[in-house]
Amino acid sequence: MNPFPMSPEHAVLGAMLACAAGALLTLACRRRPALGGWTAFAAAAASSLLALGGAARVLAAGPGPALTVLGARPLEFGLRLHVDGLSAIFLGVIAAVTLPAALYSIDFMRRRHHPGTGHYYPPLLLFIAAMYGIVSTTDMMWFFFIFWQLMTLAGFVLIRFERDRPGTARAANRYLLMMQLACALTMIGAGLLARTGVTTGAGETLMRYDFDAVTRHLPAQLRFHPLGAATAFALFLAGFGIKLGMWPFGQFWLPDAHPAAPSPVSALLSGVMIKTGVYGLMRCFLWLVPAEAQADYPAAGWGALMVLLGTITLAVGTVQALQQNHTKRLLAFSSIGQAGYILLGLGVCLTLVGSADPAIRALAVAGFCGALFHVINHSLFKSLLFLNAGSVLHATGTQDMNQLGGLLRFMPATALSALVASAAIAGVPLSSGFASKWSIFLGAIQGHPAAWWLPLAATIAILTSAVTLALMTKFYGAVFLTRASSLVLNRAAQTRQPGLDVPTTMKLAQAALATLCLGFGLLPAAGFGLVDRALQASRQGLGTVLADAAPVTAGAWTGVGGAAGQAVYAPLLVLLVLGLAFAFARLLARAGGAPRRAAAPWLCGYATAHEMNRYRASHFYADIQRHLEWAGGRLAPPPAPEPATPPPTPAQPELLPWSLEKDSPS
Amino acid sequence: MTLPPLIPLAGAAANIAVVLLAAPLFEGLLRKLTARIQSRQGPPLLQPYFDLLKLLGKEDIESGETPRMQRFAVYLALATVLTVACLVPMGFPAPLDAVGDAILLIYLLTLAGICTLLAGLAAGSTFSVLGISREMMSMMLLEPLLAVALVTGAVHTRSFRLDTLLNGSVYASGGVPWSGLILLGVLLLSFQGFVQRVPFDIAEAETELMEGPLMEYSGPKLALFKYAQMSKLVVYSSLAVGLFIPWGSELGFPWAWLLFWGKVLAFVLLVTLVAATHARYRIDQAIRYFATLLAAALGALLLASCGL
Repeated sequence: MNPFPMSPEHAVLGAMLACAAGALLTLACRRRPALGGWTAFAAAAASSLLALGGAARVLAAGPGPALTVLGARPLEFGLRLHVDGLSAIFLGVIAAVTLPAALYSIDFMRRRHHPGTGHYYPPLLLFIAAMYGIVSTTDMMWFFFIFWQLMTLAGFVLIRFERDRPGTARAANRYLLMMQLACALTMIGAGLLARTGVTTGAGETLMRYDFDAVTRHLPAQLRFHPLGAATAFALFLAGFGIKLGMWPFGQFWLPDAHPAAPSPVSALLSGVMIKTGVYGLMRCFLWLVPAEAQADYPAAGWGALMVLLGTITLAVGTVQALQQNHTKRLLAFSSIGQAGYILLGLGVCLTLVGSADPAIRALAVAGFCGALFHVINHSLFKSLLFLNAGSVLHATGTQDMNQLGGLLRFMPATALSALVASAAIAGVPLSSGFASKWSIFLGAIQGHPAAWWLPLAATIAILTSAVTLALMTKFYGAVFLTRASSLVLNRAAQTRQPGLDVPTTMKLAQAALATLCLGFGLLPAAGFGLVDRALQASRQGLGTVLADAAPVTAGAWTGVGGAAGQAVYAPLLVLLVLGLAFAFARLLARAGGAPRRAAAPWLCGYATAHEMNRYRASHFYADIQRHLEWAGGRLAPPPAPEPATPPPTPAQPELLPWSLEKDSPS
Repeated sequence: MTLPPLIPLAGAAANIAVVLLAAPLFEGLLRKLTARIQSRQGPPLLQPYFDLLKLLGKEDIESGETPRMQRFAVYLALATVLTVACLVPMGFPAPLDAVGDAILLIYLLTLAGICTLLAGLAAGSTFSVLGISREMMSMMLLEPLLAVALVTGAVHTRSFRLDTLLNGSVYASGGVPWSGLILLGVLLLSFQGFVQRVPFDIAEAETELMEGPLMEYSGPKLALFKYAQMSKLVVYSSLAVGLFIPWGSELGFPWAWLLFWGKVLAFVLLVTLVAATHARYRIDQAIRYFATLLAAALGALLLASCGL
């Protein structure tokens, strides 16, 4: 079975080279944004195809041997690439998100009035190449450092792209600082664990800092230097935690960096870059530890810590997001919240993986599958939401939700894809986010015989998903529904074409991501199937334990099931019943033959709809926010870019002193 | 699925039919009883059926900027409540037990709430959006209460299957079921909120917000919303009966079925009694009230994790 003619390692190498070549070409045509955009898209497409092909081959036919490209023995320095199932999933995610983001960039950047795109496309492609590298290299020191720095510096340039805007430079500096800290912490961790190079049975000589060499020495380390090993793992948790936005580190950089960057870059930052932190955690805490060293490895302790941190991260991040009134800043905080869910799933897995009971180990798999599937889903819907926010910015020139409203009428395509993504992130049934959370909750709640705190953590997560729902209601409602704001009406009056929707390429990028979201939502079996294939294709360390445990069962019509049939979810059948009930409701509404008429809303007869009495984003949930101020997150919002046109002043009544600033709707 | 798919679908149709037929009757009873408690005569028992029929034929005024979204939200609101009805055992096992579990149930219940929110947002009038903001605030604290009860049941029985859970699972711990009793108290104290009746009908608040999210709705759309709300009363009562008052469900078809509806009726009467004798809370009071209940429920869950 050979679905792809190249070995996956060569494919990844090819993908990186395609990006590098694209970077040079786009640098050459930096004065011509359109040409640069298409060149970058071609390079991203080539690299995506290569990466997807390589990933598909690994998932279908299992991993091949590792590939050593460069090596310098005396320096313990070598580029050794190896793509197993876990890497394949992350490669697939990177490929699936970068392609729409590159397509979206073409028209998005064309209208940015900058002298050239030399600061945009070359770093963008290098950024993508570095991410491909970081999820497939086995060198935990030098090439990890090189790829991490490439990713960080390229990201830094991208975040700084609109550096003339106030606050942007500061956000980029913070990002750079936190990433360097994370890099240092992880490298010290690797240094603590590394001993000497080893020679494998196949005669391959591994460098000192190679992942497999570290694995080889780890049992002895865990047994004889437990403190050193624990320090190393703590450093990994902190380092990769910074990257994925874990509380309390995420709050330092993530909410500032995401809104500052151009929207396609925000999509990549939130969609894939923070996922490399998840990759690192999974790799180090599960795959690095050989199964025979389990007795000396306090997996349950690390799991408990991750459950705790994950629960705090998801609760705090989401509550902070609720208080935001800027589209991208709100989405950035919610990324922290969603990263918390992933961390919770991974923590559940680690807590339960050491159990002697096969039923509990099956729940560990449920937690892991939920976490990894949520990585896939979050990448898709969060990058889609950032692209939507970018489209809104593109159409209206603002990220301030208070000035937005009623965009559904003017940007139907964007609004529709945003609806899909918002439903997914809120975990509405039949959406992709629901399926992955379902699995995390399954593992956490049923895992209670092994750890009594797991159901509590899961319940806090369920509670938080009600907050996520409130948050997305606010986002979607304030931007796309409610009444059109005067800014939106003004913009619509200025454009010649009907509506404000974005150019076709941008719509296409959004539609592609929305389709993937819908697909994974209705066929979660596909997602769980992929994750299971990934586990089967990466039998190493504790990954073997997961691969051997009973998987989450998955079929198209029967949906997914777990805990020995005690949990079931069959979205297609739910859709069938819901669809029939929907058709019945529609029939009932039409049955009376009632005539329809459009009319203005009724405001009690003494007021008309007006910008002054529009219900704005900052008014939402005022009463509950008063109780949630402890969570913070309101400090230092980046100054909103001024709208290109001043707000219109159609015969307004005098502003009343109490008007808009501090009234609370209770 | 072990059963051929036709039997669950037939059961689902039966549940939907019963809910649709019975919901206005319960509403009529509620109205009549409220009136009598308040020394009024009250409308005839069948008035809600006539109301629905009348509304279905009346002019449908669409005042939102995006009528499509308004229609979608309204149809989905009723559809979701009816789908939930298929997941709840009503005198016989839940028809769609093999299709979804407790987690799906929790999230479907929120979907029912989302539809009201979408409708209010799509209408977009200031009063509607004020209403949905309040609705969402109480949903944030209310929905988790039911979730905690279901999770507690799942912890006791080690299952998410609805037939197992909605059969008194909260009491399934050995000895005195402390967690179950606490949750029963929490449920009784919060039930008015789930079915959006006085004193927790804050989002609609006819006298101050003019029905909040529903303000801009008329004709068939209003009929569908009202219908969804009436069905919600029946569905939530069934859920509460299944979770907390399971006794007698093993009696076999006619008796178990009759007993079940008797218990649902008792719940409706309880709702009526509380609604008729209380005044509406303000949203900030309600938030504090629900938050206290939530803390108690989480305490119960902790007890459940420890096997109590």
